[in-house]
Amino acid sequence: MSSEYDLVQQYPWLRSLEKYFSDIASKPPTEFISEIFTNEYGNEIKERLLKLFKAAFDNLEEIHDYKTDKLNLYVYLLLKIFLYALDNRVITNRLANLYSKITYNELIAENSNLKIYNICKDLGFKINYYHPPINYGKKIIKEQTEKFETNFSIHFIDYLKLASNLRDEYRKLVHNSLSDGFVFIQNNRLIRLIQEYVRNKLLIEETKDKSSLNKFLEKATEIQDFKNLYEEILSKWAERKEEFEFKFNIDFEKSEDLQTLFPPCVKEILNKAQEGQNLIHNERLFIVWYLIALDYPTDNIVNIFSKMPDFDEETTTYQVNFAQRKKYIPYKCSTLKSLTLCRAEKYNDELCLIGYGAKEPSERKKLAHPLNYTRIKQYRTTKEKEFMNKKTEEENE
Amino acid sequence: MSDIGYLKRLFQAYYKENRSEIPVVNLIKEREFGFVPWDKRTIMNRHLSFKNHESITKYLADEGPRHVYSSGALYLEPDNIDMDNKEYQGCDLIIDIDVDHFYTTCKEDHDLWYCKECGKSGKGMPDKCPNCKKLKLKTVTWICEDCLEIAKNEIIKLLYNFLIPDFNINVKDIKIAFSGHRGYHLKIENNKIRKLSGNERRDIADYLTGENISFELLGLQEKGGNIFGISKMAFGWSYKIIKRIEEFLLKPKDIIENLLMDEKQFNFNKNLVKSFLNYQDDLLNTIRSENKNMWTIEGFGLNSWKKFLKIIVEYLGVEVDVPVTVDIHRLIRYPGSLHGKTGFKVQEIFIDDLDAFNPLDEADLKIDPIVFRGEKEITHKIEIIEPEVPLSKIKGISYGPYNQGEIIEVPHHIAIFLLCKGVAKTI
Repeated sequence: MSSEYDLVQQYPWLRSLEKYFSDIASKPPTEFISEIFTNEYGNEIKERLLKLFKAAFDNLEEIHDYKTDKLNLYVYLLLKIFLYALDNRVITNRLANLYSKITYNELIAENSNLKIYNICKDLGFKINYYHPPINYGKKIIKEQTEKFETNFSIHFIDYLKLASNLRDEYRKLVHNSLSDGFVFIQNNRLIRLIQEYVRNKLLIEETKDKSSLNKFLEKATEIQDFKNLYEEILSKWAERKEEFEFKFNIDFEKSEDLQTLFPPCVKEILNKAQEGQNLIHNERLFIVWYLIALDYPTDNIVNIFSKMPDFDEETTTYQVNFAQRKKYIPYKCSTLKSLTLCRAEKYNDELCLIGYGAKEPSERKKLAHPLNYTRIKQYRTTKEKEFMNKKTEEENE
Repeated sequence: MSDIGYLKRLFQAYYKENRSEIPVVNLIKEREFGFVPWDKRTIMNRHLSFKNHESITKYLADEGPRHVYSSGALYLEPDNIDMDNKEYQGCDLIIDIDVDHFYTTCKEDHDLWYCKECGKSGKGMPDKCPNCKKLKLKTVTWICEDCLEIAKNEIIKLLYNFLIPDFNINVKDIKIAFSGHRGYHLKIENNKIRKLSGNERRDIADYLTGENISFELLGLQEKGGNIFGISKMAFGWSYKIIKRIEEFLLKPKDIIENLLMDEKQFNFNKNLVKSFLNYQDDLLNTIRSENKNMWTIEGFGLNSWKKFLKIIVEYLGVEVDVPVTVDIHRLIRYPGSLHGKTGFKVQEIFIDDLDAFNPLDEADLKIDPIVFRGEKEITHKIEIIEPEVPLSKIKGISYGPYNQGEIIEVPHHIAIFLLCKGVAKTI
């Protein structure tokens, strides 16, 4: 067998999967499932898959005895099938985070730059490999010199595709060495980008075509092993899901439920957080500053981030407290637009799109700040309640 | 005939006579079009599409719109009014450099403002009224060779300091156009770049401007009471900053002193400037050294260094209108169309012609944006309707400044310019 073949077995998310395992790819999924569960490794594959789900539901960051042997390929393909069947964004995000972290650890442990290069080539990245490594700078502090060396530079488009959704400031293009269209990137940071690729690969959109999904489920659950495993995963999820589903039951003046008063930009970020999706740096800053401006308690703000793949309670609490002391003002609407965080059109929100203050659209004032959205919404709700109370009183009289 | 009607007819006639002059835009049928008519009640008609170059040139000749725009984005259904149903396919990378968005010293001479609240007026580009501090300012922004030269130099900086050396953009993919008013657009037409999301474009825009740069991440730090400078890198912003500091330190002492004291530049106090000058040679040696990087100057703490570096970054970065680059659904002026605020043509320019290009006095007729300058010297009598109209130097001749009520006789292209600017009326 070729080294490429071995690489795909070890890392089944590679593009060459289709080349070497076209027989599997062309099979109807139910036939594939049936074959897997009846082969000699069926039980082991089931166990490994279940272990992945359990670890993800337990919010674990890694599985110590994770194996990347020949069964790994089947575990990966089944994982994708189960994520499709379960059709739950929170579960999908949890699994994508865990699986990609496992991949990161595996790749770091490889200690083979040539292998990393082959993986990048397989994924279609435009990448340069330098052997021996290239020296592209140094940092000098007192007597100590840290040399910047790497075996890799990656094309800026591939770099941006993978790095722009990561929150760390160091990944921003402006903080990196860019020349001739390529970003010089240290080996472990390149592996971090591959991790992001793997995470995205597992993040399948929630199925819109529910009838196809139901048909698939109907057929797949005829396979007893699939049905058992599917139900077991669902029951494990039922035990843990409450911890993932949190609400923002916080009072903000006159006992209003804040969620109904949030503008679309805030709702979008909270939904993403709730689903365990990664938030980019500006989304994190904005949501923290916004909720602080509404006197949202620290613990609850920290709790919002608790399902993030990189959550660290101590650091998050420190940062939220720091922001509270600094009294940062949340971004205004124009900044949110330029940061592509405005979601007025996506949610077709009337207050954001048409404005407020008059019936005649041309006379309306444009909303300039998301905090005003909450204030206006609260004012309207209060007025509505007062009106309703008055009406009830009048009727009672 | 009203002035609006007159200008509309003039634009129609121009488009009719110059159909062949309007450049063919790539993938025209996949682009959304928008038009601002002369009728001031309509803001913009958008979500329109055209099958080919002929149909758009015909439309221009028939309608003679005030402003013409097309999308950088490509859609399967560009005329669908619902953005979600347009079936977005990708978007050219657009970089807009417009002197409206940044300070130039010449604005102190030609940009006027009136406060609607207190009635105070003045020159320059204040954010709010310096008298009553209110934001209700009416402005009359003008153009001159100086500010257009600054905008052009920003495009040159963008090309030769960023897009070509850092991003390795193929010059064949680059299209540059004078906007017809106060700036330039640069468009990159490349299939891979078209696939970049708004977030990814934001990263590029930040790279071009140097905005949100963290000097600490580039290596600046304080340790044991000493300042250690930015890492010595072979490429990227660290490299650019170090090179610029070296250039700065090579300047004569009196020039450095003036720049460091200048309120609009570094704005350091006398003691800090004196200290900086005492360390000038030491710092230059450190910057050039392979093995040293201690930037310790008496009185210069981390914050002073950050302030210094911020000005260095502002000098190096390009004055890009960031929201334009980030917004994948933005419409931009259509090349070859006329700008309704000047009557000048949105003129495409080859990179090789850029250096010598002077939009207000272009010798090469093929790329001259001032299209209403006829061979015959036709003049018009017009009346100034704004309280004050700054001086305009067009085709090497100065016109104005003028005051309200003044009746002037000027050449055809100047009359069109002043009518389009809305500062004059025909009599």
